[in-house]
Amino acid sequence: MNKFFTKQLCILFFILIPIIFLWHPNWLGFLGVQPYWPLFWLLPWSMIYGSINGLIFGLFLGLILDSLTLDGNFTQIPGLIICGVFFGRIKLHHDNLVGHFRYGLICSFGSFLCGSLYFFQILFKNLSENNFLLFIPSFQNILAEVFLTGLFAPFICSKLLRIFKFSWKKVE
Amino acid sequence: MQGIRRISSSRWWHKKKNWIFFGIFLFLVFVRISKGSIYKDFYYFISKPFWPGSFQKDLILKSIDQESLIKLNLLKKDNKRLREILSLQELSNDDYISAAVISRKTGSWWRQLILNKGSKDGVEIGSTVIGPGGLLGRVNNTSLFTSSVILLTSPESKVGVWLDRIQINGLLVGLGDEYPSLILYSKYADIKVGDFVSSSPASTLLPPNIPIGIVQSVEEPMKSKKIAKISLLAKPQVIDWVQILKVKIK
Repeated sequence: MNKFFTKQLCILFFILIPIIFLWHPNWLGFLGVQPYWPLFWLLPWSMIYGSINGLIFGLFLGLILDSLTLDGNFTQIPGLIICGVFFGRIKLHHDNLVGHFRYGLICSFGSFLCGSLYFFQILFKNLSENNFLLFIPSFQNILAEVFLTGLFAPFICSKLLRIFKFSWKKVE
Repeated sequence: MQGIRRISSSRWWHKKKNWIFFGIFLFLVFVRISKGSIYKDFYYFISKPFWPGSFQKDLILKSIDQESLIKLNLLKKDNKRLREILSLQELSNDDYISAAVISRKTGSWWRQLILNKGSKDGVEIGSTVIGPGGLLGRVNNTSLFTSSVILLTSPESKVGVWLDRIQINGLLVGLGDEYPSLILYSKYADIKVGDFVSSSPASTLLPPNIPIGIVQSVEEPMKSKKIAKISLLAKPQVIDWVQILKVKIK
């Protein structure tokens, strides 16, 4: 049983992402916005297993999260795929402290990328004279999400990275 | 050595009385800084039993309640009669489905509620969802046991609304923040802060006259349009129970 859990820990955490996405704990939010949860899983996963795995699981995450959100016209897949590939090219850092800050910065950048791509989709879908109304709330959403993702990433990513490394070594 | 000890024991800070005075002084400084709020609050509690007119206030409130109830019943009757004359639809209690909110995303891009009633309970895509205060949104997706509601604040949401005071239709557009925008396609519409917004009688998506919100601010007219921010009456971030209207709009 223990062996099973050690091997499948990554997958168990993967399953948790949509649950947290749906749960939407308001007490962790800022201006009603949540951190972008999938990046916390995707970063350590891609760093250990590489760009191709990052791309595939970015796609999987996007598919799951798209199915949970109503906006059928917009998708999170492109952002997550790009992040998966990008995160896979990042090397692990030996200095723990620098590593923590790096996770924060990388996740913030990823969140900005995903948020911006989503915003552009909304913008192009609603191509009309009312587009200017969308700008301020959208910037607010993106900035709040970037801030929160960057804030939580050092804590969550470093823990997950350690767990994933441990389970990877066990599997090997 | 003994001499030094005797001298030090007679210092002012070794006297209890001085410390008491110092404590009182600090307390008074605090009272001064807090502008007497302690006194006022204390007075509030001790004078509460002697306040004038608490009995009278209860009587007045009861009378107002009764008056409102009678007026409401009269209006209901009127409404029913007029609807019969105009051959409009009626809503009965059987047309409502009560549902609990099991997931709530009220921030960021995705603004939706997930309810614990689905197609098994007769919820259909397009049904209107109302909560305490008024309209929340429309059912956009159903599964066997759950249904997803797209909120009025979502960037996907666009509904027709009615401003009763100036008798004009408008379009309520969600922007991904707490205050959707109302677009009136008339530069000269006399919209004012505080105007009441309800669902439009001309809407093909919603039943008429469901309260939606109040005009919070009006922006400068642009080209042939006027835009206003609307403060919604129903607050999806705190509502735990909602009602789904089963009725179909013709």
